[in-house]
Order: sequence, then C-alpha cells, then structure tokens
Amino acid sequence: MTATVPPGGEGVAATEIPTSSTASAVPQGEGLAARRALRDSRIRGAAFIGLGLLSFAFASTSFSIPATFLFRLQNQGSERFEIATTVGLLWVLAGIAAAVVGALQVWRGPTFRWRPWLLVLLFPFVFAILAAVLSGREANLTRVFSNTLELATPLTLGALAGILSERSGMLNIALEGKMLVGACVAVVVGSVVLGATKTEASPAGEPLIATLIGVSAAMLTGALLGLLLAWLGIRHKVDQIIAGTVINIGAVGITSFLFLRVLGSNPQLNQPPNVAAMDLPFLSDIPVLGPILFSLRPYVYVSIALVLVLTYMIYRTRWGLRLRASGEKPAAAGTVGINVVKIRYRALLYAGLICGLAGSYLPLATAGSFQLEMTAGKGFIALAAVIFGAWHPIGAFAAALVFGFADSAQTLLSILGAQVPPQLLNSVPYLITIIVVAGVVGRVRGPAAAGQPYEQG
Amino acid sequence: MSRLTSLLRRALVPSLAVLTALILGGIVIIITDLEHLSQIGTDPLGALAGAVGGVLNGYGAMLTGAFGHPDRIAAAFENPVPRTIATAIRPITETLVAATPLIFVGLAVAISFRTGMFNIGGDGQLVIGALGATFVGVSLQNSGLPSLVILVLAIAGAVLAGGFWGFIPGFLKARTGAHEVITTIMLNIIASQVILFALLGDALRQAGSSTPVSKNMSPWVDVPLIINLPALRLDYGFVVALLMAGVVSWLLFRTTKGYELRAAGFNMTAARYAGMSAGGSMMLAMAISGALAGMGGGFMVIGTVGQLSNDLSGGIGFNAIALALLAGLRPSGVVVAALLFGALTNGGKQMGIESGVPSQLLTFIIAMVIMLVAAPGLIRSIWRVRVAKPAPEIASVSPTAPAEPA
Repeated sequence: MTATVPPGGEGVAATEIPTSSTASAVPQGEGLAARRALRDSRIRGAAFIGLGLLSFAFASTSFSIPATFLFRLQNQGSERFEIATTVGLLWVLAGIAAAVVGALQVWRGPTFRWRPWLLVLLFPFVFAILAAVLSGREANLTRVFSNTLELATPLTLGALAGILSERSGMLNIALEGKMLVGACVAVVVGSVVLGATKTEASPAGEPLIATLIGVSAAMLTGALLGLLLAWLGIRHKVDQIIAGTVINIGAVGITSFLFLRVLGSNPQLNQPPNVAAMDLPFLSDIPVLGPILFSLRPYVYVSIALVLVLTYMIYRTRWGLRLRASGEKPAAAGTVGINVVKIRYRALLYAGLICGLAGSYLPLATAGSFQLEMTAGKGFIALAAVIFGAWHPIGAFAAALVFGFADSAQTLLSILGAQVPPQLLNSVPYLITIIVVAGVVGRVRGPAAAGQPYEQG
Repeated sequence: MSRLTSLLRRALVPSLAVLTALILGGIVIIITDLEHLSQIGTDPLGALAGAVGGVLNGYGAMLTGAFGHPDRIAAAFENPVPRTIATAIRPITETLVAATPLIFVGLAVAISFRTGMFNIGGDGQLVIGALGATFVGVSLQNSGLPSLVILVLAIAGAVLAGGFWGFIPGFLKARTGAHEVITTIMLNIIASQVILFALLGDALRQAGSSTPVSKNMSPWVDVPLIINLPALRLDYGFVVALLMAGVVSWLLFRTTKGYELRAAGFNMTAARYAGMSAGGSMMLAMAISGALAGMGGGFMVIGTVGQLSNDLSGGIGFNAIALALLAGLRPSGVVVAALLFGALTNGGKQMGIESGVPSQLLTFIIAMVIMLVAAPGLIRSIWRVRVAKPAPEIASVSPTAPAEPA
C-alpha cells in the first residue's frame, strides 16, 4: 500500500502492512523464509500440473497399445485375475492424479503436506510407465509385488538400525559391514547346528533350531560390532565416518578371507538352513491380495512389526524421548540428567542387533549360501532410505518399498526382454539414492547433533 | 637433529599401527588354520608350531613377493644377463607399479580430506578417468598422430573425465547439502555400470571378446618404460605420480587457493566468515581430487594394463583412504605410504599364490591399520607409548548442512 514519509523527508519510511482486501486465502507469513516457502510450493504445484499435462500428451498417442496385467488368484492353481486396459488410459489416470495434486498444492500453499500425496501419485505413474515400457506384452505382477516386499526387507531392517543410531546422535555408516558379517555368521553357525542335528532319525536335521541359533549368532555379532563403533566414536573420539568405513572394509576383508580360506575347503560350513515362505492361515486365501501380501517369508512380517514397534517406542515412550533428545541437543539432555553416552551405546547395540538380523536374511532366505560381498551396497541404500524417510521408521519402510520395487521391476523387464539396457535399470536404485540425498524430493533435516562427539560433564 | 626426532615421532604411530595390524592378521591366520588346530589335542606343540609356521610362510611369501626372492637376486649377480636381472627385480618393479595408482588416488583423498570432504569415490573417479583415456585412445587409433601426442591427449581426457566425476558430489554437497559419503559411494557403483554400458557396443570393445573388455591400445599408444627389460611393467607413470605429489604439495602449502582449501577443512564457518567461498572450495577440491584419480586411471589403462575392464580399480579407493590417513594427509607421506601399500598389495598377491593364505586378509589388515591410526589411544594402551593427539587435519564435518545457506 502506501508508504508514509514523516515530514522533513528524513528518517525511516514506514510501510503499511497490506490490508485484508488484498490478502489471499492462504495465510501470508512475513519474512524471507515464508515468501520462499510460498514460492517453492507454487513451483511444486506447477510442476505437478505440468506432469499431469505431460501424461495427457503421452496418453494421446497410446490409446491403441494394450496393457494387460495379470495377478494370481490363489497360491495354488493357475487361475489368473486380469486387468486389461490400454496404455493411454493409464496415462490419463496418472495425469488426472497429478493435476489434482498440483491443484491442491497451489490452492493450499506451503502448509500442504505433499509428501504423502507423492506416494499416492506413485501408483498410477508406476503402472503407466510399466505399461509403456512393456508396450503390449502381458506381465504377471504378483511376483513383482511380492518380491518388492521381500527385497525391501533387508533395506527396511537396515534403515531401522540407521534410524536408531542417528536419532541418538551417532552416524552409523557401518550398516553394510554389519550386515555382511551377520550374513557370514548366520551361515556358518546355521550350517554347524544343522549338521550337528542330523541324526539317523532325522536326516534333514532341525532347520528351525538351526535357523534360530544362526540368526541369534548373527544378531549378537552385529551387536558387538555396533558396540565397537560406539566405543571408537565415543571413547576414542574417532570420526564416526572413519570408524564406520573401518568396520565396512574390515568386514569385507574378514568375510572374504574366511570364505576363501575356510568355506572353500569345508563346504559343509556353507550349507545353512533355508527360510521358506510361509502362508498365513486365513489371510493368504484372499483372492489376488493373498498371494501378494500374505505368503511371504517370516522376515517380512518381523520387519513390518519392528517398524510399528519402533515408531511407537521412538515417538510415544519416555525412552524414545530421551533418544531423540540425545540426538538433537545432547548438552541440554545432559543437564536434565539423561545419560547421553549410555543411550548412544544402547542405540548402537540395538542397531547392531537389527543389522545382524538384516544380514542373515540374504543367505538364509534368498541365496541359500554365503557369497563374496553379498550385501552389494544394500547397507548404503538403507542409509538412503533413512534420509528418504525423514528419519521416521514408516517413511523409511516406504522408501525401502520404492527401492525394492525398482529392483524387482528391473528383473521383470529384463525377463520380458524390454528394450531397456540392463545397466540403466541396475543403476536406478543408486540414482534414486543420489536424487533423494540431494533433496530433490525436498530437504529433510536430520537429528541436529548427529556425527558430533559429546563430552559428558 | 630435532627435525629427525619430529619425523620419527610422526612415524611412530603409523609404524606401530602397521606392526600391530600385521600381528592381528597373523592371529587371524592362526585361528583359521583348521588343519593345524585340529591337531592341538594330539600334538599341541607341533600344532602350534605348524600354525605359526603358516603365518611365517604367508608373510615370508609377501616379503619376497614385494621385494624380491633372494635366490633370484643371487642368480642375477652371478649371471647378469637381461633375463636374470629382470626376474630378480620384477617384484620390486611390480611393487612400484602397484604403488603408482595408489599415489594418485592417495593424493586425491588427501586433498579432499584436507578440505573436509570425505571422498570415498576414488574407485569410480579412477575408472571414469580410465574410460575417458580409452575413449580418446581408441578414437585416435588411426589418426596417424605420434604415440606421445595420443598419450598426452588421452591423459588429458582422463583428467577431464575423472574431474567431472569428482565434481558431481562436490557440487551436490555445496548446493544441496547431500552428504558426499553417500553420493560418492553411489557414484562408484554407477561408474561400474557406465563402464559396462560403454563396453557393450563395438566402438570400444575388443573384437570378438565375450567379456566386457576394451581394445588393447598398446599397439598404437603406450607409456614409455623406465627399465626396458622383458616382463617389466614399470613406466613413467610412476615418475608423473611423484611429480604430482610435488604439485599437490605446492598447491596446498604455497598458493592462496590451497590455503583456502585447507581453511575450509579446518573450520568451514570461519573460512566463510573470512570471505572464502566454502562451496567453491568444496567443488574445487572434489574436482581436483577426481582429476588426480582419473589421471591415475588413465596411466593404468594406457600404460600398465593396456585395456579397460570393469575390475580395473580393484577396490583401490579404500586402500587410498587408509594410506592417506596413515600419511597424515601430507603428500610426502602419501608417497611413502603408497610404496608401503604397494608392497603389501603386490606381496599379498604372491602370498595368495604361493602360501595359500588368501590376499583378502590384506583388506582386513588395512582396515585395522586405519582403525589404529585413527584411534591412537589404542596404540598407547597396547604398546604403552606416549602418543600425540590425532592430527587436526582431519576435521569432522556436519553431515547434513549444505555449504552455503540455501
């Protein structure tokens, strides 16, 4: 509006705050940050709408290409449930979804919680892109979706370990190394117990006991490594990134060495029990959804349970409050009598336990034996899931699902001979990680004191 | 004399760290020596002697693999023809060959760590640099240019390619706060996919090969050898590496830019307060770092190896981190540590072949070395010596904050 200048022309010109006749429906904050947030939200809304328009453009040229998705009806039998549409229709649906989200963003402004909506948007777009790449071929998606859950499991568990550590203020990049060691220990211990329980009466041994003991050993070893990381970082003030790198390199060295030196000439130590998929009693009989969601390996259900348990514990218990305080402002926590050091040790201990569990999944549930460097970067993808999920267990689980889907979709596409070079598909999870970490999907703020050593007293 | 004592004091912790790590490695060898351990019930002394003998066997093979077998050296003295001389000095030349890329990537790590950037991407930057050199080399195959000119152009390509691959995480950190540990590791993995992709088409691939290997470029471009004897591979890449150590030392300690880089590493906030561009320092440091690693890759692919394949780097990135830390991030120390690691790597290969102790043990030993150097308190408690506090050159960086306010 108008600026009133005091008589004399000197002094500060006072600017009147705009009156309500020019204000928009969105509450306007003052200041640079508020204006920036508003501008960012408008750009985001425009981007979503633009995405919608792009989808409509794709739709206009592909109404003639069929898109057939098959789902298994039940676990047994070969009945299939079929969704047959055209690629164009899928693009239209995706476009409508994007346009709606964009309109909501522009209308509601900076306070609009767009991240959950982004996840919802993912579905129509994934289907549309999948159909476009398949260009007419049929695809059985039951395996793709159930594999997504399975492949996401070690990532989820690793991410939970990362969340626990970072929330307490300790940077834990040793997830990869702990998982690898966990895998090795689970295999060796499981094989030994399985072999020991093989008698004349039960020639196959006791796989359940062997599995439980092997997994427990893996978890214990992971916990020990977690304590080592905590000890190096807290007691010796080693930079937490260097300490984590040490554990990662050491894990690769010692497991590869063991594999070549001991497991090569003693194959009976590399024959662990196999953890097979289990059918949940009533739920797995639900048509279509049953084979996808309720016939998975027990690890998957354990990981989902852990996600829920940890969410509750971190956000709704006193223990969780202390944990978060240690990570945000350890000095303040210390003055209130919270033992930050003990909390950090404990957090890394739990993280190590979960990492050991995650590591045991790879050989026992999928590969069937221990291979050299079998974690193949999953620990680092788990770290990305932590950041993607904004340090929240449920967010990390969602992120792990995205990564798992990228992985299993790539398998599907290469089986069906889609015209995409395998190297590009292989790179997708890692590219997504970089995009996420760079904050293209929005900047997230981690625990403020993560990575900084804390002096008690 | 005080210069010597300060040198010795600086070398104390690293030397003890290496020694302790070797002892730990020896313990690992003993406890995995299942053959001898199974005899401990019946013949304890013999079993123990056998196990310790296994350790000595393994480390002995490592020594002779790194420096030379006394028998062959004696034979060379008795009968100094080219073949015997070559056989005698091959181990030590191979050690220097192994040390060359370690010097390059070690310098890369040192310069980035000094700026506060944890560059774990040495592997990726090296292979992308090698790809750049391969691309230039293959493109100029029939150009008629002299070999030396092609070499210079190829190395330039390597420097540019590696510098670009290093610049990416630097840029992301400066502009978006993306933690360079994660981005560099991701870029390492993506780099190997890029190499595989590049070797798919016939443009670069060796004709008629079923594995992804590039054309062998030695017929038309090669790095001149220092000692021209049969089966020796030591070329002037080693000399260039030493030269680059001098250049990096000059850059870091005698130029304004180098001062800015080091200041950013000591205290990013103070550097920014003094008017230095923290983001610019990050990007420059990572670009130089990538360029150095890429140069190493270029010399590897044109000189010692001759062709590009996916396993060119062999995990050199992590070894380079170890040796840079061991060297206190000093270029002169990097050269010494790289020679040591070259001996370990080369010797380790021989150890694996001759004595059956897998060379992966070295990865474990190197991890122990890093741990002991980074936590000198451990050395103090094991060996009861007085040790200085860890070097201040290694600054802890806040993990999620971008360089500039957004």
